[in-house]
Amino acid sequence: MKELFDILGDITIYLSVIYPLFYILGFSKNNKTYKIFTLYLIAIALVQISLRLHKYVYPNEPNLYLFVYYFVSQFIFLSLFYYELLQHKWILFIGGLTLLFIGVQYIITPDMYFRYNPIGATITQVLLVFYSLLYFYRSLSEKKEFIIVNVGVFFYLLSSILIFASGNLVLDDTIPIYIPSLLQDINISLYLIFQLLIMLEWWKNYADRTIIKFKK
Amino acid sequence: MVSSEEQIVGIIVIALGIVILMSAAIIAFFYFSRKKIIKTELEKASMEIEHQKEVIQSTLITQEEERKRIAQDLHDAISSKLNVVSLNANFLTEADISSQDTNTIGKQILSITSTILESSRKIAHDLLPPTFEKFGLKAALEELCDEVGETKKFQIRCDLPYAEGFLPPEKELHVFRIVQELFNNAIKHSEATVLQLTVKTEQNRLSLQYKDDGKGFDPDTKTLVKGIGMSGITNRVAILNGTLSVDSRPGDGVQLTIKIER
Repeated sequence: MKELFDILGDITIYLSVIYPLFYILGFSKNNKTYKIFTLYLIAIALVQISLRLHKYVYPNEPNLYLFVYYFVSQFIFLSLFYYELLQHKWILFIGGLTLLFIGVQYIITPDMYFRYNPIGATITQVLLVFYSLLYFYRSLSEKKEFIIVNVGVFFYLLSSILIFASGNLVLDDTIPIYIPSLLQDINISLYLIFQLLIMLEWWKNYADRTIIKFKK
Repeated sequence: MVSSEEQIVGIIVIALGIVILMSAAIIAFFYFSRKKIIKTELEKASMEIEHQKEVIQSTLITQEEERKRIAQDLHDAISSKLNVVSLNANFLTEADISSQDTNTIGKQILSITSTILESSRKIAHDLLPPTFEKFGLKAALEELCDEVGETKKFQIRCDLPYAEGFLPPEKELHVFRIVQELFNNAIKHSEATVLQLTVKTEQNRLSLQYKDDGKGFDPDTKTLVKGIGMSGITNRVAILNGTLSVDSRPGDGVQLTIKIER
């Protein structure tokens, strides 16, 4: 069982590097929303690669400081992504306020850098889930782009709020090690679904254009 | 006893399970609502297309009827009489013809050509009365009322406090055609003795009221309402973005009101 999730974990990391490449293929041909989403995928891939490198170079040191780059870059790019889709100015405003709040958090308690930040992660994820809900509502009556990705964002971010919020359990010695590892396994499974949905979006809506471009 | 750690795990796993289920349910909810909304919109669109098809069809039928009528008019009033003229003119070319005969034939030709002229003027007038072009809707309606009154078929009361230029000319023409059609129907089908027409303008609204005391019809039997004349009126009212209400019962005359916002 443990091995299975190790393999799945590896798959998510390889995938997170591979699918940005697919998205990059159509980068110049598609609109701003697509470009922002591609940048988001690249940012996440970079975080994933650093996590993996960290594991090889410093196998015994905690890699939690990378977590802040993960959720902050996710918040910045997905906020812009939803701003493009929804065209509400206040998304940018709220995004700025949230980043300010997180910045203040890290200035006041610098050692936050070396553990999970449940409040920051929860706020950003809840906001993104809220945007995706708005986008669902918007797409009720007409065909909209990135609807599969929206399903993925909604599903993964909402489900994983609890996982990241309880992430600091890993630092608690009194909690048996299998609990955080169970959470991690669930997270990996959910993340894999999210990645598959991102891949499906590309395959269904953008593959044609990109392949045609290559045939030319 | 269940250890506290196991309880924590249990709670977390259950909470996670609930959240995952909820998010799946919300996604499914949106997916199915979307499907339903799109389906109803499609139905609406196809209904609209169906309606447009009906409008086009009745327009085409009206057009054909109109052509038939014009062809008939041209044939009856002009071609056949021109035949007589040409026959008479042929007589004139014959060598052994007395000057008296020439005179008679000439007079005949003159009288026939003047009837033809009169008929062609009438045909043209029926197609589009010059009064409408020159003096506008109000004058054209007055003329129409006079003409219908002259038939002595019924008494006609026209009240036309219409502010000239209230509607653009192309819309005025629709109003004129509607009245023409109403009168046509009255002449052909109604057996009425009194017709009453009011066309008035108030601020931003034109209201047209028509009333007769003829045999009326049952508005529920669609065949009559959907007859060529009535569908022509309905279509024109639709083009003018107006509202049409018909009140009629068999034996009880027709009362019809059209309201058009500017």
